[in-house]
Amino acid sequence: MKFSWNNYSTTTFDEYVTPQRRLRVHSKKIGTFLKSLSLKELNEINTATKSVIQSMGISFRVFSDDDYEGQDRAWPLDFIPRIIRQKEWSEVEKGLKQRVKALNFFIEDCYNKKSFLKESKMDESLILNSSAYKKYCIGIKLKFNVWAQICGSDLIKAEDGKFYVLEDNLRVPSGVSYMLENRMIMKKVFPELFLQYGVTSVDAYPTKLYENLASFSYSRSKKPEIVLLTPGVLNSAYFEHSFLAQQMGIDLVEGRDLIRGNDGFIYKKTIEGLLKVDVIYRRIDDDYLDPECGNPNSVIGVRGLIKAWQEKKVAIINAPGCGIADDKAVYAFVPEMIKFFLNEEPIIKNIKTFLMKDKNDRDYAEINFKKMVIKPVSESGGYGIVIGKDCSKSEQNSTIRKIRNNPGNFVAQPLISLSTAPTYCGKSLEPRHLDLRPFILSGQHQYVTVGGLTRVALKKNSTIVNSSQGGGSKDTWIV
Amino acid sequence: MLSRDAEHLYWLSRYVERMENTARIINVHSELMLDFTGSQSAGWKPIISSVDSNKLFRKSYSKYSETTAINFLGDDKNNPNSIISCLHKARYNAKSVKDDLPRSSIEQLNNLFYEFSDGMTSTSKRKRASLVYDVIAGSQRFFGIISDNFSRGYEFEFLRLGRFIERVDMISRIIDSLCIKKKEAYKHDYPTLEWISMLKTLSAHEAFRKKNRGEIEKADVLLFLCKDDNFPRSLYRCLKILERSILTLPNNKDVSEIITKLSNKVNRSRIETYRNDKLHLFFEDLEMRINSLDEKIHKYYFHNHL
Repeated sequence: MKFSWNNYSTTTFDEYVTPQRRLRVHSKKIGTFLKSLSLKELNEINTATKSVIQSMGISFRVFSDDDYEGQDRAWPLDFIPRIIRQKEWSEVEKGLKQRVKALNFFIEDCYNKKSFLKESKMDESLILNSSAYKKYCIGIKLKFNVWAQICGSDLIKAEDGKFYVLEDNLRVPSGVSYMLENRMIMKKVFPELFLQYGVTSVDAYPTKLYENLASFSYSRSKKPEIVLLTPGVLNSAYFEHSFLAQQMGIDLVEGRDLIRGNDGFIYKKTIEGLLKVDVIYRRIDDDYLDPECGNPNSVIGVRGLIKAWQEKKVAIINAPGCGIADDKAVYAFVPEMIKFFLNEEPIIKNIKTFLMKDKNDRDYAEINFKKMVIKPVSESGGYGIVIGKDCSKSEQNSTIRKIRNNPGNFVAQPLISLSTAPTYCGKSLEPRHLDLRPFILSGQHQYVTVGGLTRVALKKNSTIVNSSQGGGSKDTWIV
Repeated sequence: MLSRDAEHLYWLSRYVERMENTARIINVHSELMLDFTGSQSAGWKPIISSVDSNKLFRKSYSKYSETTAINFLGDDKNNPNSIISCLHKARYNAKSVKDDLPRSSIEQLNNLFYEFSDGMTSTSKRKRASLVYDVIAGSQRFFGIISDNFSRGYEFEFLRLGRFIERVDMISRIIDSLCIKKKEAYKHDYPTLEWISMLKTLSAHEAFRKKNRGEIEKADVLLFLCKDDNFPRSLYRCLKILERSILTLPNNKDVSEIITKLSNKVNRSRIETYRNDKLHLFFEDLEMRINSLDEKIHKYYFHNHL
């Protein structure tokens, strides 16, 4: 039996077929190729993909309440690529650069002049009372005025076929290594299609990242000492930390490998003795970086690290304190920031966001509950999200109660139907919902990854794409 | 180079080498048992003694048999030196330094791990033999890839140190236990068959045969395994490799002194003439010095910032 597009039925914008079930221009070649395969052959490709992943050891770690150490799971990659045309992507790229530029101005402003807080409609307490607002950052100026050197923004494509920003991750965004790995796997699985499509390479990222990190060094040395600081082997993103360190040729260190010397500089422990470190690409949350400024029980941080950073003896990337800009309530103000700091119109749109702190917004969300998604502002990874239309009456009431008890902790957004793409589902290809996480580097110049990491919800009709909750991924082709 | 990375590499290669050695012991001994009909069960006890694990063994098993011995040496997670435990620890160490190692070398360990996940005890004898063979081959491919693809430098030297310290340790244990600890050995000399099996365990049979033909004399075996200049699994040769490796490291004075003394001692000894009690003392002393070498390496390179 062969796969047929006639049996492929979509309910929303699909990236491969039109509502009339015709293949879109960019998916003609691959669509025809897939049609020529039997279901058995599809299964064989799926198995081949899995065995490549297993032997390359590409994994991520999942934790649960009763499994403290977690378990390594093979990385879930669906072998059908997501395809975006170059022309469309160029606009998205411009939009992302614009957005992150404004976010960086905003962070710098929060810790210095506070002009946006004073002049915009934003409630000052939203920032000043946030746990992400770090007092030790007040008055600090950084090179190129950049605080969030690495940003991972989540994009979705809505029913109208346009990209929207869902959120910006400015703390320690992860996923970029899987974007690179997905490409390596796909080259092994589908070599013939790459030639036909002329897919743009994604491989420049580690080099661009290295150059970016190096440009933030305070030392005059032409070869600054850069390290990647990881919480350790048990972290869910450890695979990525190790991968990036290897690709850049820098040391992968843990907190216990670093020490603050008597001269206030940070050193790493080597077999030859102590060696000064200039730049730390940290993958540890702010609160665990330094037991002296944050969680006093942190064993994964480095004592005195924040002081060394304040004294400009070491660069930390992303800078501590930059998490204030990726709060889901702050998100609502990004279009305003773009106008305020850059005097430009936003190129990529935000999704309309209702702040539950605001009485009018809250009333609207309660009345239209079934059409809304409720999100806690401080969670990430898809946790705590409530989808209105899936709620029973009692779930709806308890959610509304929770919001009223702590309105500042929630935002509501209209439910957007994410676009779909064909995905291998055990027997055949079925539409599954997608998002996209590109990564934006900021320094003297800006760089956006070619495409990004496409995540896919493997369960039918689900829109939760996080790999920790059963999501998968796709290679993203810019053609 | 980070001290922690050096330590991970050192232990990574010790565990891979240890796992290979254990697989060799199982392999050779399973074959040997096929030649001794009737008394198979007694045959496994000296094997467990040779890896110094009798106490631990008796905690979990009531009798020495092929099934219990192979379970203990291969699958038992409570035995820190079983193949599966070594594989776990090797992968843990590899993961902790993965950014330094050639990817294909890690793939060897990953593949072995998945292959080994069902264990040895549950499989048939024929499959077991091929599993044991895969462990040996996987370990050799691992080191082969390292030696073929890995730049010479500190990272490489710490891998080499771990591998050869483990090997010296294993050679001396095997000779010591098989020659001496067995009580009957005082009464009669070993028959050729058992010498061959010991040589095979150290992968030394063919190389030995090139030099010595016919019935096998204990003195020839000792001479070959301890003092041969050219065979890469002789004690002397391993010690020379360790010596060269240590000389490439910084601050090596104390450490290289130990190893030079040790290799001179082996070279100058008349070990082939030693009686069993003297031989045992010789190996006891050797193992002590190897331990102190291991301690010094930890002190000078891994924990040098205290």
